[in-house]
Amino acid sequence: MKLTSLAFTAALAGATALTSHTALADVKVGLLGGVSGPIAAMAPPMLDAAQLAFQQVNEQGGVAGGQMIEAVVGDSGCNPQNGVDSATKLVNVEQVVGLVGPQCSGAVIAVANSVSVPAGIALLTPSGTSPEITSIEDKDTVMRTVPSDDYQGRALARALLERGTKKVAVAYLNNDYGTGLAESFKAEFEANGGELAGYAAHEEGKASYRSNLAALTRDGADTLVIFDYGDGTGLTILRQALENGFFENFVGGDGMKSEAIINELGAENLTTFVASSPVGTASSSLDLFNDAFAGIGGDPNAIFVTTSYDAAFLMALAIEKAGGDKAAVAAALREVSNGEGEPILPGEWKKATGLIAEGKAIDYKGASGDLDFDENGDVPGAYAMFKVSNDTFESIGEMK
Amino acid sequence: MTLLELINFYLIPGVVLGSIYALGAVGITLVFGILRFAHLAHGDLATFGAFAALALVAVGGVNVWVALPLAMAICGAAAIGIDKYFYDYLKERPKILTVMASLGIALMLRAIVQVVWGVDTETYTRGIVRPETYWGIRIRDRELYTVIAMLGIVAVLWFFLKNTKWGKAMRAMSDNPDLALLSGVDNRKVTMLTWMIVGMLCAAAGFFLGLNTELKALMGWTMLLPMFAAAILGGVGRVEGAVIGGLIIGIVEEMSVLFIPTEYKAALAFAILLIILLVRPTGLLKGKVL
Amino acid sequence: MELIGLANYAVYMAIFIGIYAILALGLNIQWGFTGLFNAGIAGFFAVGAYVSAILTSADVANRIGGFDLPIVVGWIGAMVAAGLIAWPIGKICLRFRSDYLAIATIGIAEIIRLVVKSEGWMTGGARGVNNVPRPFGDLEYFQSQLAYMLMVFLILGIVYFLVERQIHAPWGRMMRAIRDNEAAAAAMGKNIERRRLEAFIFGAAIMGLGGALFAHFNRSITPEAVDPMVATFLIWIMLILGGSGNNRGAILGVAVVWIIWSMSEMITDQLPQEYAIKAKYMRVFIIGLMLQLVLRFRPEGILPEPQYTDETNKEKVQRGSPASDAPTT
Repeated sequence: MKLTSLAFTAALAGATALTSHTALADVKVGLLGGVSGPIAAMAPPMLDAAQLAFQQVNEQGGVAGGQMIEAVVGDSGCNPQNGVDSATKLVNVEQVVGLVGPQCSGAVIAVANSVSVPAGIALLTPSGTSPEITSIEDKDTVMRTVPSDDYQGRALARALLERGTKKVAVAYLNNDYGTGLAESFKAEFEANGGELAGYAAHEEGKASYRSNLAALTRDGADTLVIFDYGDGTGLTILRQALENGFFENFVGGDGMKSEAIINELGAENLTTFVASSPVGTASSSLDLFNDAFAGIGGDPNAIFVTTSYDAAFLMALAIEKAGGDKAAVAAALREVSNGEGEPILPGEWKKATGLIAEGKAIDYKGASGDLDFDENGDVPGAYAMFKVSNDTFESIGEMK
Repeated sequence: MTLLELINFYLIPGVVLGSIYALGAVGITLVFGILRFAHLAHGDLATFGAFAALALVAVGGVNVWVALPLAMAICGAAAIGIDKYFYDYLKERPKILTVMASLGIALMLRAIVQVVWGVDTETYTRGIVRPETYWGIRIRDRELYTVIAMLGIVAVLWFFLKNTKWGKAMRAMSDNPDLALLSGVDNRKVTMLTWMIVGMLCAAAGFFLGLNTELKALMGWTMLLPMFAAAILGGVGRVEGAVIGGLIIGIVEEMSVLFIPTEYKAALAFAILLIILLVRPTGLLKGKVL
Repeated sequence: MELIGLANYAVYMAIFIGIYAILALGLNIQWGFTGLFNAGIAGFFAVGAYVSAILTSADVANRIGGFDLPIVVGWIGAMVAAGLIAWPIGKICLRFRSDYLAIATIGIAEIIRLVVKSEGWMTGGARGVNNVPRPFGDLEYFQSQLAYMLMVFLILGIVYFLVERQIHAPWGRMMRAIRDNEAAAAAMGKNIERRRLEAFIFGAAIMGLGGALFAHFNRSITPEAVDPMVATFLIWIMLILGGSGNNRGAILGVAVVWIIWSMSEMITDQLPQEYAIKAKYMRVFIIGLMLQLVLRFRPEGILPEPQYTDETNKEKVQRGSPASDAPTT
């Protein structure tokens, strides 16, 4: 009896020592998402994808000498007020070594200016697409894994012209994402001889867009380009266009490549729908991510999940490279993804830590692209066109 | 553009949108008229009602048209409960406090919807429904039902207010609460009844919004301001005014695309409101000044 | 948890509370002392923020700007612009009573929001205005925040002083008289419309200043900051909970509400990791619930409106109705 209670006490003490050890050795990373607010529907899959990266890291030995990464989720509410509030808490109270997020451009700019840059914390946003992020005076600490809208809009314009589509109408969401894409698309499309038969912004959250669509059809385009989110207003617009037979062909940006569209509208109605989306040049990267994310019940086609995963994995790599020193994380971000060194694919954490320990250069090849940061912390994009097939999206070729 | 195009692509969508606005605006105007405050939780209560119907359809497996009255009943009960626990004790206080309380309720309802149903975009039925054509006029059956249901619900409400004892009591409270109390109207029962009706109207508005588009956690909140505009436009406390106001705002919003840049479509409700108020400071039908 | 981190967080909270307190004081002039139901704070906030940002920032392609003016000029510009915008709005809308005024001002704020979002040549559209200079922005993080806090407090002090002085001046007495009994004030020959307009413009100018301070704090202003929830309704909650008609109450209300708003995230973060996202929704619920609790236990506001006395003959003025019983909803 005595012996068992002794053993029990010992086990308890051991367990306590063990847990207190791991608790002490956690490395905290801030995950800032627009959990509440206008992008509430998009935020959870993005956060799940980022969590997946940290989970893989922790399962494969942890970071900076076996420490576990703990992701602290913050809610930016998609506005500067809540974003700065949440980031201040993460950076100062939680003492995170890096920020993955915020997800909305307005929050990214405000958080960078009033929290992360002054505090010297690396900020890596997976979905802030505003061109303004390029020009933040950031002491090289603000980067993104999502290409600026510029690249995609231009690539999509060229791809459409190549397919022989010369006349289109454009409907775009009146926010930084939609406007950015629409502006670059328009410039490239018209410069190369295409004709815009309609070009109109819309507000989100309205119940009817039929008059908008009717106005867009008036000049006789049969292709509608939608720059919006497939689980938000974009779905409403596409539905109303299909139901009323307003256009024959539909083209979307990466925001429209969302499972929600197939689930709600049905694949049989989407035979004339194509969408562009960023892809990695090493196509196995995307497959690796897709399998892993589907494995935890995620939807690999949800918007910005690849960039979120990449941002989180890159952040972990940079923390490893910097040895857990938060002041060195931003510089390390460049070192782990500058196009030189042994390629690391999504999930290959063990391999990466081994190489870093040996002092060898590594180069992360992400699910959303190669992610070689330029001097502004931006990444160039590589895109492919997708169509709907068998209730999912299938690539029909790269866009140049 | 032909006349048919104008009707099909601008007028009909406007009437359908206006019907949804009208259902919300009637509820807002009842709260305004009888309880005398701006109910900011109205949109989120509509969201709650729409998701309650979704639960019945998705989990309970009932037909959407059976789900509607059930959701209305649930939402009516919820509205009574909210009043009992959160608004009632403020009724002797300045009304601004109740307005603030309703803002808090809006946040709480939204949180409940997000926790229980998640934040994904949902629909009652998968797939798309193409419109039928009647003599060149294209309309989807669910749009037809939306307009008919709105007219039906408002007609029943109208009849109730005009011809029944309790309806008359509600109107009396709206017209002159002191006199109504003196003549023996049971304030508490009238309040409960009002909330039940308001909750049911909320559920109907949310349901038809969801039926015609999708269900989102923020769908009610984004509809709140145009609904308020519709209620004020028609004249505070006037049920028929709210219907007219809703229809006007719906139709003008859709028509506006012909004249102004589409990004300003959302501003139209307020522009009309301001113009009308300049000409008729108490709304189209003479509303009350609180 | 490091001490310096907590200090940083506290300083940030103080800055935010200071900025929102200025907005709340502006609203207090309009609602608390004059009874004007302005539900369009976001509009004046936006005008102030954008005007100051555009006046003080460097030149950018495709947008007016490049004035590079000193920051103080930007702030004055913000106040003047917000006041100027308020003038025609007041002229037109102040004739509407309570709810009609509320919905009219909400509408105008929405229109302003759509304009700043859509008119790229003027406001940068969805991109907003960036690289706005920040006073003391070149210092280290903590020092810079501390300096900004002191500056915001100084400005808040000046605004508080100005508002208090106005309220205790004959002007303030007249405003309360108009608020509490319009007919009597009119009978005494007061120009009610003019006084109301003055209060509306005065309050709007202060809101514009608050917006400017916010833009310079974040070195940027984007349309997302002009959301009605965080830029209008939140301030209303603060003022009403703090005690409308009482300037100290207004400031205290801002502090209490923002502390609830911000700290609630830490409470819900205690939930296990797998509920990390749901916790954020719970947080919104907790914010709503706390609001109900404050309303239940302090319905008159944390600091109710003081009984103003007539200072010349020390005779207590019996006021017909309490503070917030002004023309309400």
